[in-house]
Amino acid sequence: MASLFQQSMPSTGPGYSFASAPTHHSSSGPRQHAFYPYTDNGGSTLGISGATFTILAGDTRSTSGYNINSRYAPKLFRIGGDGPENEGARIVLSVVGFAADGNALKERLDTMVKMYRYQHGKEISVHACAQRLSHILYGKRFFPYYVTAILGGLDDEGKGALYSYDPVGSYEREQCRAAGAASSLIMPFLDNQVNLKNQYDPASGEGLEKVMRVPEPLPQETVEQLVRDAFTSAVERHIEVGDGLQMMIITKEGVQETFTPLKKD
Amino acid sequence: MTSIGTGYDLSNSVFSPDGRNFQVEYAVKAVENGGTAIGIRCKDGVVLALEKLVTSKLLKKDANKRIATVDRNTGVVHSGLLPDGRHFISRARDEASSWRSTYKAPIPGSSLANRMGAYVQAYTLYNSVRPFGITAIIGGYDAETELSVDGAVGNGPKVGAGGKTQWVKEGGPFLYMVEPSGLYWGYYGAATGKGRQAAKAELEKLKLDPTDGECISLEEGVKEAARIIYVAHEDSKDKEFELEMTWVSAVSGPTKGKHEEVPKALREEAERLAKKALEGEDEDEEEKMEE
Amino acid sequence: MNHFPEAWGRPRDDIYGSYNASYLPQSRGGLQSHHQPTTHTQQPIVTGTSVLALKFSTGVVIAADNLASYGSLARFTDVHRLKPFNKRAVVGFGGDVSDMQYLDRLLNSLDVEENYTSPTGDAKSDDDRALVDAPLMSAKNLHTYLAKVMYKRRTDFNPLWNALLVCGLDEKDQPFLASADLLGTTFSAPSMATGFGAHLAQPLLRRVAPDEAATQELSKEKAVEAIKECMKVLFYRDARSMNEYSVAVIDQSGVELKEDEKLENQSWAFADRIKGYGTQTV
Repeated sequence: MASLFQQSMPSTGPGYSFASAPTHHSSSGPRQHAFYPYTDNGGSTLGISGATFTILAGDTRSTSGYNINSRYAPKLFRIGGDGPENEGARIVLSVVGFAADGNALKERLDTMVKMYRYQHGKEISVHACAQRLSHILYGKRFFPYYVTAILGGLDDEGKGALYSYDPVGSYEREQCRAAGAASSLIMPFLDNQVNLKNQYDPASGEGLEKVMRVPEPLPQETVEQLVRDAFTSAVERHIEVGDGLQMMIITKEGVQETFTPLKKD
Repeated sequence: MTSIGTGYDLSNSVFSPDGRNFQVEYAVKAVENGGTAIGIRCKDGVVLALEKLVTSKLLKKDANKRIATVDRNTGVVHSGLLPDGRHFISRARDEASSWRSTYKAPIPGSSLANRMGAYVQAYTLYNSVRPFGITAIIGGYDAETELSVDGAVGNGPKVGAGGKTQWVKEGGPFLYMVEPSGLYWGYYGAATGKGRQAAKAELEKLKLDPTDGECISLEEGVKEAARIIYVAHEDSKDKEFELEMTWVSAVSGPTKGKHEEVPKALREEAERLAKKALEGEDEDEEEKMEE
Repeated sequence: MNHFPEAWGRPRDDIYGSYNASYLPQSRGGLQSHHQPTTHTQQPIVTGTSVLALKFSTGVVIAADNLASYGSLARFTDVHRLKPFNKRAVVGFGGDVSDMQYLDRLLNSLDVEENYTSPTGDAKSDDDRALVDAPLMSAKNLHTYLAKVMYKRRTDFNPLWNALLVCGLDEKDQPFLASADLLGTTFSAPSMATGFGAHLAQPLLRRVAPDEAATQELSKEKAVEAIKECMKVLFYRDARSMNEYSVAVIDQSGVELKEDEKLENQSWAFADRIKGYGTQTV
């Protein structure tokens, strides 16, 4: 926000006599816009899917530069559902990056999911919602929503479903994904702990004999603890992450929300 | 209805040989069937009142308001074809808001009446349209005090060049009535609709001309307005009605310069007095009969 | 007469010479090359500095000084940057003053429209409140509206160069405070400050109200005092600030706005201990 007031004054402003005032703008091509329409509001999000559940999580800090805007600015949103609080929703969207775009994206997806129910008389499936989200993002391919989105829910078979996106709509269903400021800190941890990368069966032999451990869906308690560990670690090393951890756990019972304080430094 | 069958009444934009526009006269007939609407210009404000005839028992009481706010300080009440009234109001709101964006100040009553008169008159000129089936009463209060200008910065000099001349006084209450022909006048008291004759007779008895030295106050005006609507209703006593009343005062007055509904307590008190006055009249008449 | 009707009635080329098209743009055969893309606001011109606000148990207090600067020139000294919207919402404007005036006009027309449907704007009793079909717009509603205006304008590359604080009461009459800026970014916190205040005042305000729970315990008097103290600190340190300011308190009883407050109990004793700037050596 400080940048608001750091601009220099216009050179053609009052104060010159008419004789010495610049009379002509040099027409060396079009003038450049000085306005940059994006900013980064920091923070990190993370999603992990299990056999019967999906967990989405995000810290609640909002930053601009070295300033903390707010210690509680949620990045997780219930999509669909009823009333102003979207009660009864079964899909959760997390967005991290430019918060204003994130908000606009959430609003659009939420409206579309609700319209789907009004028009078809049934709830949208997660995979349909995921495809829709991709289209919304790609629709602004040449003026993108500057966000990394993760969408979570349960698929038609009741299994945890997790979709991750890039800002222009490329997407993929995954077991787990970290996004945002501390994604480079969290993702390798997840690779190791969830997808068991570089983990070998200790009973197997040495060298070429080593056998990789095979990843399996983790139980809910384990995943919740992984998420908490991931964030407490990220807070230690990244200044834009902290204040609070918001988690949304989607099961067949609905969406359960939890809040855990994080370090505020 | 000597005009019927002559063919001169079939279209706007055609005069009859004796110089009348029959379509406009028919529009006036539409107004004469509507519930009575009145406006009173008092010393320190304006009251608008309406006899809202209850067309169905299924309609919610005190809902479906008919007196409209057109700008903060201006209200419109009308009698005649309701949808035509809605359109009139919509136009008046557009005029008021466009005036605000052009001049950064509320539209003066005289200008709004002028614009609306011109608008209504245009609907008497073309054969593709019909005139408005309403007579509208526009009432409000042009602020005498300095209003904060929309989006203004600073106050300007307090005295001297560019300062304010202290004794100059402008503004005050205003009341106009626009008829289907586009004709409009400013009034001290205006009445239209079914009971207009009785209402006008009552209005004429009030002291409303400030140049005569005496002029009723806004609070008195509210009570008189309620009474006059009840008097005007006497001829159609079999029908139920609701009294709708709004008022507007100076910034220093009870509505703070805004056009608002008369508070429920005050309205009920005015209605009680109105009923009492009517009963009193009946008793007087009875007494006379006895004599 | 020839058979080119488009030439009929025009001066004859053989007598008057051909038409001098030089003043026309190039696309019309002229020489003018003033073809530039449409440009929009690229920097603020006349600016207001910080706006501060703090929630307390039953309401919100907000303040901003009365200065509008033209670069480093203290250009206007009686500019009121707190705009009451209705009896439960106030907007504080930082940044470009002309954009503030535009938004003020926008809010005025919005208020007029809001009152078309509810003529009893200042409902004096519950009975009167019941007559009103449409409930009074809350500060939360107003913030959503303004945030969408700001985001739309940034998306059009034609931003309104402001940082806004919207405060008052929400639809449940609970204290509400949130911000929106030229990018359309929004957030909410127990205390907020725009501009320089984000650096200088926010840490002091967070000491008074570190979280929502703390605001529940905070009295109106303590909150006003904290804000006034911050205005003083800003005047000490922010070169684009002044010692006259506006302060508003919004709670159940409505908006209490004071537009010509003066800073009290200033102490510049700290100033002579500051050394090391420019050529000062002793």
